Amino acid sequence: MDFSNNLLPDQDISILDYLYYYNGGGVAIGDINNDSLPDIFFTANQGPNQLYLNKGDLEFENVSETAGVEGKSSWNTGSVMADVNGDGWLDIYVCAVVGIQGFRGHNELYINQKDGTFKEESARYGLDHDSYSSSAAFFDFDLDGDLDLYLLNHAVHTQESFGRVDLREERIYETGDKLLRNDDGRFTDISEEAGIYGGINAYGLGLTVSDFNKDGYPDLYVGNDFHEDDYFYINNGDGTFTESLRDYFGHSSRFSMGNDAADLNYDGRPDLISLDMLPESEKALKSTEGDDNIQTQRMRIEQFGYHYQFTRNMLFVNQEKGGFLETALSSGVAATDWSWGALFADYNLDGKQDLFISNGIPQRPNDLDFIRFVSNDQIKNKIDNTRIIDQEALDLMPDGYVENYVFEGQEAFQFADRSSDWLPKGAKVSNSAAWADLDRDGDLDLVTNNLNEAASLYINTGKKKGNFLALQLQGTGMNQWGIGAQVTAYINGKAHYRELFPNRGFQASSEPRLFFGLGEATQVDSVQIVWPGGDLQKLRAQKAGQHLVVRYNPTGKLPSAKPTKAPLFQLQGDQLGIAFTHKEDNYSHFNREKLIPYSVSDRGPALVQADFNQDGKKDILFGGSKFFPPQLFMENDSAFSAAEVPAALAADSIQEWVSLVAEDFDANGQVDIIAGSGGADFFGKAPALKDSYYQQSDSTFTKSELADYFSNTSVLLSADIDDDGDVDLWVGNQTNTGRFGLPAESYLLLNNGGRFSIAQRFSFDGMPTAAVDLGRDRNDKPAGIVVVGEWMAPKKYVWDGNKLKEEEDFDGPRGLWQSVAVLDFDQDGDEDFLLGNWGTNTKFKASEEEPLKLFTADFDDNGQTEAITGISKDGKYYPITGLDDLGSQMVSLRKKYTSYTAFAGQSISDILGKEALKKATIWEVDELRSGILKNNNGRYEFVPFDWPMQLSPIMDMLVYDFDGDQQYEVLMGGNYFGVKPYQGRFDSFPGALWKAPGNYQLGSSLGLDWQQKSLRHLRRLEKNGASYILAVFNNAAAEVYKIDNNKQP
Amino acid sequence: MKTRLSTLSFLGLFALFLATSCSEDEDIVLGAEDYHSAVDKVTEIMVHDIFSPPVASRIYAYPNIAAYEILAQSEAGLPSLAGRVRELGSVPQAKDTANLNPRLAALIAHMEVSKALIFSEDRMTSYQDSLYALWGKTNKKQFEASKAHAMVVVNHIKQWMDGDFYKQTRTMPKFSVNTDDPSRWQPTPPAYMDGIEPHWSKIRPFAIDSAAQFKPLPPPAFSLEKESDFYKELQEVYDISNRITAEGDSSEEIAIARFWDCNPYVSVVRGHLMLATKKITPGAHWIGITKIAARKTNSDFNKTVTAYTQTSIAIFDAFISCWDEKYRSNLIRPETLINQHIDDSWEPVLQTPPFPEYTSGHSVVSGAASEALTDLFGDNFTFDDDTELPYGLPMRSFTSFRAAAQEAAISRMYGGIHYRAAVEVGVDQGQSLGKLVVSKLNITN
Repeated sequence: MDFSNNLLPDQDISILDYLYYYNGGGVAIGDINNDSLPDIFFTANQGPNQLYLNKGDLEFENVSETAGVEGKSSWNTGSVMADVNGDGWLDIYVCAVVGIQGFRGHNELYINQKDGTFKEESARYGLDHDSYSSSAAFFDFDLDGDLDLYLLNHAVHTQESFGRVDLREERIYETGDKLLRNDDGRFTDISEEAGIYGGINAYGLGLTVSDFNKDGYPDLYVGNDFHEDDYFYINNGDGTFTESLRDYFGHSSRFSMGNDAADLNYDGRPDLISLDMLPESEKALKSTEGDDNIQTQRMRIEQFGYHYQFTRNMLFVNQEKGGFLETALSSGVAATDWSWGALFADYNLDGKQDLFISNGIPQRPNDLDFIRFVSNDQIKNKIDNTRIIDQEALDLMPDGYVENYVFEGQEAFQFADRSSDWLPKGAKVSNSAAWADLDRDGDLDLVTNNLNEAASLYINTGKKKGNFLALQLQGTGMNQWGIGAQVTAYINGKAHYRELFPNRGFQASSEPRLFFGLGEATQVDSVQIVWPGGDLQKLRAQKAGQHLVVRYNPTGKLPSAKPTKAPLFQLQGDQLGIAFTHKEDNYSHFNREKLIPYSVSDRGPALVQADFNQDGKKDILFGGSKFFPPQLFMENDSAFSAAEVPAALAADSIQEWVSLVAEDFDANGQVDIIAGSGGADFFGKAPALKDSYYQQSDSTFTKSELADYFSNTSVLLSADIDDDGDVDLWVGNQTNTGRFGLPAESYLLLNNGGRFSIAQRFSFDGMPTAAVDLGRDRNDKPAGIVVVGEWMAPKKYVWDGNKLKEEEDFDGPRGLWQSVAVLDFDQDGDEDFLLGNWGTNTKFKASEEEPLKLFTADFDDNGQTEAITGISKDGKYYPITGLDDLGSQMVSLRKKYTSYTAFAGQSISDILGKEALKKATIWEVDELRSGILKNNNGRYEFVPFDWPMQLSPIMDMLVYDFDGDQQYEVLMGGNYFGVKPYQGRFDSFPGALWKAPGNYQLGSSLGLDWQQKSLRHLRRLEKNGASYILAVFNNAAAEVYKIDNNKQP
Repeated sequence: MKTRLSTLSFLGLFALFLATSCSEDEDIVLGAEDYHSAVDKVTEIMVHDIFSPPVASRIYAYPNIAAYEILAQSEAGLPSLAGRVRELGSVPQAKDTANLNPRLAALIAHMEVSKALIFSEDRMTSYQDSLYALWGKTNKKQFEASKAHAMVVVNHIKQWMDGDFYKQTRTMPKFSVNTDDPSRWQPTPPAYMDGIEPHWSKIRPFAIDSAAQFKPLPPPAFSLEKESDFYKELQEVYDISNRITAEGDSSEEIAIARFWDCNPYVSVVRGHLMLATKKITPGAHWIGITKIAARKTNSDFNKTVTAYTQTSIAIFDAFISCWDEKYRSNLIRPETLINQHIDDSWEPVLQTPPFPEYTSGHSVVSGAASEALTDLFGDNFTFDDDTELPYGLPMRSFTSFRAAAQEAAISRMYGGIHYRAAVEVGVDQGQSLGKLVVSKLNITN
């Protein structure tokens, strides 16, 4: 096999003229001569296309000329095989870009003549589109028995502004995607009526067909490059689709390329990967244009109406209820450089889906040195006016030849990089990719169509492989190959689910067979086939090691789904009258402290439940963000109702209240209020930073002095700490504005007749975020308090009669702790601590050996500290920010590094110098996972939670017997958005009800709608004999759920 | 001289001795062109390194002041700026006056202060090295004495410069985008860059009392009512743009807009391919005009340095004054409003620069610079401006500095990046400021 997709240098075209000049050709694999061996078809961008017959034993014969498939279009792109006319023989469809740069031709449909030749009949079928096509998928979208076509086109739109989001609704023939319905062999464009967007803005590069919602009708995921959102089309089953990205996805990849779907966790629901172009190597990472500026992103979303997009691969876990969980960073597949095609398959036949990613680009057009320093008017004028190549100019861009990636699938959505073990060495540009069992040994081989070099055949020769079963389906009517069939192989009690949609892997289609890896199992216990339309066929046990042909012979219909039980939590439409919506103010902490790893300005709202009017009912007070007044809801007999906020409190609306406590501090029989002010906007000794104390007497609140400190408060904990009968206050201060990374003092304020005085000062290497009072011990003495925070280990303090004394034995890892709850989960008689951390679905990395580090000092003596976050890679620490950000703060770095290449790959100690680093305050984190600090008779052991609880920061936890089983459970909520586009958005955690390690249910399955919301508080309410939970979010409406465990009286 | 050397060359060793001692006696002679070429070098490096217009004005000013102060120490006709510009103390006297060549020291100081301000030091160093080698050969003692003095002055200037609050402004908050306020500036296509230098008004000025000394009237009240003054100005930008775009390359207005573009960083995005076209800044253009005027009048070294110094001081203060207003009024650019309310596919002739609209920086700076130059070279000074030739833009001719300033100002309307008020008020603001600078400095008698 000698095929090579060579770009012809003598033609007057380059990346300067055509933005997808490097996207490469296509590859389609299938048995075109029905000899049961898969044959390979390649497209070459500038032709001729080539067809290779598989002669067995990995011998291939080039039959392109006699087959008549070399093609006539000027610029070929993707190709797929499908039996378009339903005669049992695979046909070939070739996409083309036509109409720009003098490209001629049209998409070509090669109808198999069953004699080794093909006839180009695209016009007859109505498929001779002359537009900007990148790929296509044949599938039966309306389940009428024949194959319809989704044609993926790409924009070449060069307008330099984002443009309105509704541009997608104006159909443009050349650039718009199309849905073409097969009407007895003639394809009718029904895009408009079917609800398919076809605008000028959609740079369609990725296309996956899959029945994501398992209703039998195939759905679509379309990956769009640049600022247009990806499209998630839910098939309505009535000939139309509904684009539903926002409902199911909190965010998506930004420069979306190829995508692929496969069930990764045996739940019979296809999961999804969407590729992007984030480099893994420091060198490429820091010398190429990276993430959006945070304000630009905000504009694109809030003003132009696009959805959240971030520059990295996204791995989406499909849930039965709720949106997709995005796990790419925690799964280890987020950064695979300039990636084109993704192919899930069980390459090592161990029963778990693995992942292959083809990638590379001949020249990196987003190289920062090229953009800033090398490119010039000359090149720009060429783009605008001519098609003359200037190879010299192009050569100034560094190359992006990289090795392809392959990952071994493991438990819990983990993928291990096996590229160097499983793939031969050699950096190249591999565009399209497809799999097939080329040598019929039962495992899957890979084929990539490479740019300017021979195509690669990756023959699977792994030694430690498991057993296999492969199925070829023989369908019925016009769908002879059973496209769209859903097949589940049951192996040792696990349901291995596959869908027969051969188009996958970017501009490509793979062999139209289904492959199952059995691991050590020697048989498949049973096979269930759901044919398109719902006909059911079951096979009994099948021995491993076969390529099995299954003819359509249904035994019944798929039974309709059982009605599901009402979920445990039921959203109360009336919110019990708690109509509270928190609105975050416009301030961005990143505008003030430009290098910080996350924001501290969005930790509100505060919330406290107390009986403010002495009527025996618990009212609720919410704090507002800066300039937003607090809100008060009074409990009445049947519900809650909004009430006027006492004047003294309303007068302080300028403050951002992050924490609230309400107790009868002055023991006059009426509840007083203390409000902790934060927001990280006011600085220095701004009065608005002071915490406020409002004393109530005669039902009127009056402001009193508390203490003089000007930090951003994060924790107020009220308890009788010194055991003298009144209520004292522990104040945790997270940071001083502008001094991120340096300690802010926290305080013990002791109560003396309603007056407070600072009795003890605490200076943490970190930022306290939460604390819990442990109540009274067996001897009726105060049991102490536990404080958690960011960059610090959890700490326990006990009153020693004189002061709060730190308990030395209390020992846990340093984390970015957000929340803490107490529960003796193992019922061994001592208290265990549940700790909500940052999670692992982040670009931060931390371990005991290589902790996450924060270096803080005024490195350049400009009067302002810089907080620089470092991540270890191979033992060296690299900043999370690039030269532009660092250099804007420390101008001297622009003199030290006059090119991005010089900066890229530099460690923090290279950048700042060892001397300057010596003056840094260094904070560290060695654990990012949330988990239990297990108390083994006073010795503490950290046990992490299961993987879904690591997807996002866990912001609050509530302990209660929710399901009425006489055992306590922990309800957890999370998600956090106060990070830069560098991190993305921790938005997909749906909450979880946790019972014990390995025993949990996700909130989405319990009726909670918490994805894409950032939770701050969970509280329980009792009303009218029922139990409710109150969930409070940052910058969103609070929610009330009734706990419906059917065990309530 | 030539004859004598050739005669002596017969005498072997003796000749060598004499030739050496002879060269020690030779003065290092510097003319205005030497200074022009050093200024050009700084411009070239600035274009490479990419500095925003306000920062570029700072890079021009301090080196010129350093050079000027050295000349002022020995030239009776040149009064020191100490006491005339804010917080500048008298520069130290030279130790070795016998061997001091003030022009040489001035030029060295210019290069050394420049080097501290630009990023790509290697580019300056290689330029300096060849000159230093030459001078060292020509007259080592003179070179070393002059350099030694220059370095003392450079340190003095650097210390003074260090107090101008530049470093501190690096650490101040970014401009906060708030799209809820329809009149408030927001980032513009295609790069949607953050607003640059939101705290430039805090930089210590040279001659003006404070950033707000020439605070202009506020812009017309923001309104999207068709009959409002503001909306009429918005409509005018759109109409002019459409008219001249229809005329195409034959349009004089487009030629004017492009000539005065002076955008140091124009982003070009084509898919994943990104480029920047880089030009000089508005300040640099007026530095170029200063060179043209100095050459045309055959100004000597001292006059040349004086001209650059006065002009760059005026430009520096003009940016402070202008930026003070820009981030006071925070006015939205025509491109944003036209795209939102009139025509969503409209693009201005020039790329909108990344900072608020009012007043026009080019107008203020041109107004100020033209006053500085008129004071130096007189009104009705005709000149051919070929400053933009290296950037592919043809020469334009002007009958006076003030006429050039007027054209520079109105060019921003033609370019579709400013409303009329910003241009007209901006020139006034700049001219008033320029006149004050001239009288405060009072160095051109």
